[in-house]
Parts: sequence; structure tokens; C-alpha cells
Amino acid sequence: MNFAFTEEQEFFKKIITDTVDKMVVPRAREIDEKDEFPWELWKDFTKLGYLGLRYPEEIGGMNADPVTAMIFYEQIARGSVGFAQSVIMNILMGTYFVYRFGSEAIKERCLYPAMSGEKVTTMCFTEDQSGSDLAATRTTAKKDGSEWVINGTKMWITNGPIADFATVLATTDPSLGAKGLNFFLVEKGTPGFSPGQVLDKLGCRGTITGELVFDDVRIPEENLLGAELNKGIEYLGEILDEVRVMTGAMAMGIAQAAYDEGLVYARKRIAFGKPIGNYQLIRAKFADMATEMEASRLLIYSAAWKMKEKLPSRIEAAMAKMFATETCCKVVDEVTRIWGANAFANEYNPQRHFRDARFLLYGGGTHEILKDFMGRLLIGKA
Amino acid sequence: MNMIVLIKQVPDPETLVEIAASGKDLNIEPKFALNLFDEFALEEALRLKEKHGGTVKAICLGGPKAIEVLRTAVAMGADEAVLIEDESFAASDGYDTAMALSQALKKETFDIILCGRQAIDRDRGEVPQMVAQFLGLPHIGVIVKLDVANGKATAESALEGVVEVIDVGLPAIFTAQKGLNEPRVPLITGVMKAMKVQIPRVTIEDLGIAKDMQPKTTVLRYLPPKKRPAVQFIEGEPAQAAAEIVRILADVERVI
Amino acid sequence: MDFSLTEQQRFFKGQVSRALGRIVAPFADSIDKSDVFPGELFRELGALGYYGIRYPSDIGGMEADCVSFTILAEELARVSIGFAAIVTMQCLMGTDFIFRFGNDEQRRKYLIPAIKGDKIGTIAFTEPDCGSDLGGIKTRAVKNERGYILTGRKLWITDGDVADFVTVAATTDPGKRLGGIGFFLVEKGTPGFSMGQKIEKMSARGAATIELIFDDCQVPATSLMGEEGKGAKYLNDILSEIRIMIAGLGVGLAKSAFVAGLNYARQREAFGRPIGKFQLIEEKIAEMEVRIKASELLTYNAAWLKDKGKLTGKEAAMAKFYSTETACYVVDEVSRIHGAYGLAQEYPAQRYFRDGRFLLFGGGTSEILKTLIAKYTMKRSDFEIN
Repeated sequence: MNFAFTEEQEFFKKIITDTVDKMVVPRAREIDEKDEFPWELWKDFTKLGYLGLRYPEEIGGMNADPVTAMIFYEQIARGSVGFAQSVIMNILMGTYFVYRFGSEAIKERCLYPAMSGEKVTTMCFTEDQSGSDLAATRTTAKKDGSEWVINGTKMWITNGPIADFATVLATTDPSLGAKGLNFFLVEKGTPGFSPGQVLDKLGCRGTITGELVFDDVRIPEENLLGAELNKGIEYLGEILDEVRVMTGAMAMGIAQAAYDEGLVYARKRIAFGKPIGNYQLIRAKFADMATEMEASRLLIYSAAWKMKEKLPSRIEAAMAKMFATETCCKVVDEVTRIWGANAFANEYNPQRHFRDARFLLYGGGTHEILKDFMGRLLIGKA
Repeated sequence: MNMIVLIKQVPDPETLVEIAASGKDLNIEPKFALNLFDEFALEEALRLKEKHGGTVKAICLGGPKAIEVLRTAVAMGADEAVLIEDESFAASDGYDTAMALSQALKKETFDIILCGRQAIDRDRGEVPQMVAQFLGLPHIGVIVKLDVANGKATAESALEGVVEVIDVGLPAIFTAQKGLNEPRVPLITGVMKAMKVQIPRVTIEDLGIAKDMQPKTTVLRYLPPKKRPAVQFIEGEPAQAAAEIVRILADVERVI
Repeated sequence: MDFSLTEQQRFFKGQVSRALGRIVAPFADSIDKSDVFPGELFRELGALGYYGIRYPSDIGGMEADCVSFTILAEELARVSIGFAAIVTMQCLMGTDFIFRFGNDEQRRKYLIPAIKGDKIGTIAFTEPDCGSDLGGIKTRAVKNERGYILTGRKLWITDGDVADFVTVAATTDPGKRLGGIGFFLVEKGTPGFSMGQKIEKMSARGAATIELIFDDCQVPATSLMGEEGKGAKYLNDILSEIRIMIAGLGVGLAKSAFVAGLNYARQREAFGRPIGKFQLIEEKIAEMEVRIKASELLTYNAAWLKDKGKLTGKEAAMAKFYSTETACYVVDEVSRIHGAYGLAQEYPAQRYFRDGRFLLFGGGTSEILKTLIAKYTMKRSDFEIN
């Protein structure tokens, strides 16, 4: 068993850590305060080429393995969650099905520009009445000659209102439940496709999250992203583990950012004559945080390694996501306590980490869903 | 134009440094970085390459971990990199470092050698000058601007209150000062290349230096810097406060 | 053992709940968004006489017991933590010292109107470098022929921008730490007393927290509340009451968040049924219900002991610590039950989540309180006595 990163991975980690420190960290607070898409940072950062992280070198990507990818996700989230959300959409969820199933013409229009940062993309699953319960999706796709007609409303779509193209989950037959789901490519400018209201959010500010309306949107046949009809859920399974472990990695990025703030304060804040880091209760907090973060990272990288080796990783990915997220929520909580009242001054960072951590509880599956799913698998095996 | 950049791996500026119990050693948290001033040197070499063509080679004297800074150089755009590695040199001083680097440089063809004005761990700033001496090259220090034309270089050197403009024939050594440029952030293509590149290692023997060479200086001990004294406020009316200050200076601190 | 409220207390609770529901509840979100002192609401509630809840009737007070005051705190917190912070400051900390030690002139000018809601009172104890460690405050009070000169900076002062009078903690002898602290009544507009920056917060918005600056501020001798060096003792006299009050705030916040979560679990459907029917949600509901009940019992037990004259500092510390931790637990779980809607500004779940944090500091952090409880218990625990 080798618990260390390879030399190349260590080097990559150093470079991306320095890059995030230089480019992203200084702008994190502004991104959160303004709650606008940070176009300037987007242009500067995407120039470096990281949006092609997961795709083959032949098309300009980096062909990064899952372990290296997790290193990236952790660091980008450490810099700014609001920015990271946009980056990961282009890197994975918003482009994957286009990459997998899109025609060359579609790739030219969508995938390659998304990899360069020229286009912003997203995926649309959630609706007002369906989050965890994908089978309750009401957005429909009806075949009409050589076109598909999409009707419905999507909700909570990251950068939906500004996306240049989107991967939309729609059902060909609601009575089929999960077995009727498919992915469709819808591009900005298509008649009937329009942004709805934008949500004002507690955390992850810096992404434009909102509604997308599909009103008799007609798209060509080739915009069905799938080799066969009604296999959407199966295809989703191809990236589900990565999305979960990625969420866990982002949780560690946020936790690390908060933890570092906690260290600074514990060392310099004086009470009753000495730095508060001298008191047992404060020391205990750091012991707990560090232990759980270490355990989280081991789960994350072990799951990522299994994915890299093409070993089964479904349960491990869910474990990593859940454990790392719960740890992150604990860490951002404890750090706000260590900071005392200063924790909720908007001027300082702990309150931003505290607010940002919440989204981790839903992306990639709520913990209630994950526990039920894992329990079912585990008990089933026994 | 062929350029060589001498780089050093130093402890990260944020690491904790403590004096060991013996007083003769330092305990440094193992976190490393590319020396800040060397980054400026590297960036300048890359800019000159972009303007005039040629190659950039990075040379580093250090332990096995120092490979990382050479990879960083490649990620930024350096064409080649080499590590001069030897355990025995862990305890060497500036003279030995300059000697080893000079021996390595004797095997190279170059028009320009760039390095940082000093390494931020020891702050001695002596190696570039010694290398210049060993190689018989002109040396311009603390440059904030460098232009090359017709086989000649014009450099601006930042001194106290003035800027010195110097013309020098090539080859020559230049040491970089802050303000020379803004080092670039590596593109992912550079990062990918750097991750895969095989960096050759060279030992001291390969350079023809005797293995039992003794350093010319020895560190006797390390002392912690004097803590800044606490500020003492003198209260009261001006006349009384003045009398009190005089009393402290005369009777307590005994400086008058 | 009778764990029920008396008839008067039940009636009082109903009255308060109705009044707040009508007057304040419709504005809870806008108070939070604007983070501006809700002057009109404050005066409206004051006119009903609530701010004198602890004071004698001859000055316009209600002479209510601790249980009733706790009920008021709970009901206020159910509606708006920001507003609750302002009102509880007015009822207790902001006015208590002038009530106990003010002369007739001061009481006429400030206490009587404050009870009606016409003047606003607050305290200024915390400094940039001193929160838990009150003995380390640096604001100096130097005696002179006209009274005292106050010099220093205070931070996190609730209502610092609108307060008409402030009880300021300053030391006449830093070497004595807690034993050197005195309380001084400073009036708005006193030369040398000014407002600094406002701290933008994510929690308890509406109760603006301001920096106050004392720059060679001359105050008369009558400004000293009680005696020099006795400030810490005077604070100690009401510390348990403050803690019980905050415990009440915790109960109120927990209950309102809990009910929001309960309603969401009843009506949100997934996989064909309301999510409240799934075991994992049931588990959360059960945990929250039990912990809120325990907080309520600990809190009102402490209030009842106070009314009976049998309270020690320990029960108050226990109530505050447990109730506020429960409130934070509840607002976390409720935000999870709401799914992504826990993040949306248009639902109250995120406001409850943010507001929970405020309860963790006032009256003593959980860390400080735990060490306090342990110290009492190490000496003697109730459970050792048969």
C-alpha cells in the first residue's frame, strides 16, 4: 500500500495550489460580495487550460486521472466556491455527455469552446418538485418528425441564465419513471429556451443560479445525447462516482480554507493572558478537525484511486462524499466558534466558508439518500 | 540566444523555522518553494527567448526534492533542466555552491546567465558574484530591466535612490531584483509537459570536483533574533513624564 | 412537581405571541435584509409596555417574574432574532444598571422613557481584543475634578448607532483586572464619544453592531454607576438572568425553525410520498423534538429556580449552553430537510441558520460555560446528594 501521491501528482498539487493562491484567493471575497459571474477571473483562469482537465490530449485536454482531478477540485474550491462551481460545470457535468455522445459538429460548437472557456455550460436536472427523485422529472421530450420538442421548467441550475448550452434531463414518458429519462443538448438562442428568475443564495455566490424555461423548444435529432433512447440514468452512472468524490474533494478545499483561518486566530487571539490556542477546549477542536480531515482525504483519494484502476467504487464514492461533507460542515462550524463574534463579521472569511459549505449537502446526493442507498447495497450484499 | 537560469529551492516563506537544541542546526518544516528572486530571473529568460529566439536551460544545485523547482521551470517554459545533486553538498557554503555551478556552466554554451539576487533562506547574495569570478564573466547585479540587441545587453540596476544604466558585452551574468517582471502562471500544457519530463541528474564527481572538498566557512551556532522590546508608556504631565524618562534612561537602562 | 405554566403565565404568553405576530412577524425578513434598526416597530412594542417587564410598576414596569421574562424572550426569538436582540437588551442589560444605580435625574431622563420605548439603551463591554476575558479590557476611566475621562474603543455594540444612553465598562485600575472595572453611564452627544464603523454581519441582522470610540470623553462623577471597581460584581448579579434569557432565545429560534422544517417535511414529496414519511427524516424530527423539549425544560427550570430564589450560576449556564447548542443543531437539520431551498433567500430556513450563530457568543461561549459548569460540579454535583 502506498499512501503517497506520485512525484508528478505532488508537483501538480504544488502548481495548482500556487496558481489558486495567486489568481483566485485574492478575489474570493469580492466574488461572494458582488454575487456576479466573475468574467475577468474566468478569462484569466481559463487561459491556463485547466477546463480540459478530464478530456484527452488529442482534443486539447490534460487526460488527468481521477486522483489528479481530485487534487484540482480540492484546490479550486479552497480558492473560491462561487468560482469553483462554474469551473467544474465546464470541466465535467456540463460537457461530459456532449463529449460522450455529441456529433463532431456539436463538439465543434460546444465542447471545444467550453474547454477553452469561450462558452459557459451547465447541466439541468433539478426541477421545482424533483431533486433527489429524478423519476419525478416533468420536463418532457416528444419526437416530432426529425426533431425533439422539449417542454418544462428547470430550477436551481448553476449558471443556467448565462449558459451558452446546456445538457437537459427530460423524459420521453413520465409513466416510465427513471427509465424514461434522456439527455438533450439545448443551445442558447434556440426559440422557446429562456432564462427564468435568478435565485438569491446563502452561499456559492458568484454563480448565477436560476430557472430555465423550455417552451416548445425544437432541437434536431442529433441533440439527443445518447447512443440509445431512455438510457439516461445508465449514462449518468458513468460519472456519478466522480461527481460524488469531486464533491468530497471540494468539501476538503473549503475545510482547509476554514481550518487555516482557525489556526491563525488560535495563535494570535489573546484571552486571559495567553493565545486561546493554549486552552484544552480549543486544542481539542483542532485535534478533531485534523483527524476527520485526514480521514476524509484518505476516503477521497482511495475512492479516486479505485476509479483510476477501474475497480468498483460506487459505495466508496458515496462514503467519501458523505464523510468529507459532514467533516467540512463540522470544521466550518468549529472555526466560526474559534473566531468568536468575529466569525460573523462579513469582513472576515469564516462566515463565507460557513455559508458556502451548505451546498455540499445536496450536490451529488443528500446524505439521507446516500445512506439509504448504501444501506440497501450493503445489506443486500450480506 | 542561449540562456541559463540558476535556480534554488528554498523553504517556503511561511514555514516554521526553529533553532535546534544543539544551537548548531535549524529545524525547518519541510515545505519548499522556488526562490522568489529566481522566479524573476526565469521569467526574464523566457521573455528574452520569446523576443529573440533561443533556448532556456535551468540548473539547480540541491537535494532530490529540488527536482520540483526544475519542473516548475519547465512548466513555465524552460526547454531543459538539470539537477546537480549530491548529499555531501548539503552542508556546503556559498563558495562550494559557486564552484559546483561554475563547473557545470563550463560545459555549456550560453549568452546570458540569469539568477536571483539572493536566496531568501540565507540572504547572502554571494553565489552569482563568485560564479562570475570563476568564469571570468562580467556581472550586473539587482537588475530591474534588461534589453538585448546586436550581441550586447543594456541593463538597469536599482540602487539606493538612483538607477544605473549599464551596457555590457555578452556573455554576462545578471542577478534579478524584484520589479524586473511579473512571473507568469504556468499553462496546463506546460504543467503536463513538466509532469512527464525526465530531468537528468549530475553528481559532484561528474563535474570533476573532489569529493572531500571542505567548506571554507563553518556555522558556529544559530541565535534567535533579539525580541523587539516592549513599548513602555510614560504617563502623566509632560514635566513629570520627562523627569521619569530621564530616570529610566539613567538609572534603569543606564544609557546616559 | 408541576411543569405547567401558571394561568397568568399562559395568558401572558398568548398575549405576547399575538402582539408579536401582528406587529413584528410581517417584517422579520425585511429587518434581516436591511440590517437597519426597526425604529417604528420598536416604539410600537414599547408603547405596549413590554420593556419594563422586569421593573416595578411605580416606574411603569410590569414586575413580571423570570419565567415571564423568559417567555417574552422565547416569543421574540420565534419571530426575529435581530429584533429579539434589541428588545432583550432594552429590557435587561441596557437598563438594569441605570435602574439599580442611577440617580433621580438619570432615571427620569432615560430609564422611564426607555421603559416606554422612547429612548434606547445599550451596554458597551466588548472590545476588539477582549470578549470572554472582561478583566482584560483596556478602556480607561481616569478620575478628575469634573468626574472621569474615558478613553478607549468598544466593538460589537448592539444598537450603538441609535442608543441614547450607554452603560460603558471601563477600568480605573487595569492591574486589578476584574476588580478594577466600573460602569459609566454615557449619554449620546457627549463630546469625545462617537460612533465608529458598523460591522456588517451575517447573523442577527437588524440589531446593528457598531464600534464606539471614547476619545478623552469627559463624563460627570454621577456617570459612575455604583462604585469604582464593582462593575464585574454588578454584572455578575444579572449574569444568570442574562443567560436564562439567551436560553429562552435559543428555545424560540429552535421552535420556529423546527416548525418550518416540520411543515416542509409534511408537504414536500419525493419518490411518491411526503419526505416526512422516510425514516431518516423521521429520525431528525424525533431528535429535534426531544432536544428542544429538553432545552425548554432546562431553561424554564432555571427561570423557576430564580423566581424561587434557589438559582446557582450552574443551572443558568447549563440552560444557556444546552439551549443554544440545540438551536444550532436544529437550524442545521432544518436547512438539510429543506434541500436546496435551505439556501434560498426567500425561505426563512437560511435566516434561522445564520441567526443561530449569534446565540453562541452572548452570555458566554459554550466553551467558557462548559468549564464553568465543570468547576461547579467538581466542587459538588447535585447528583451526589441523595
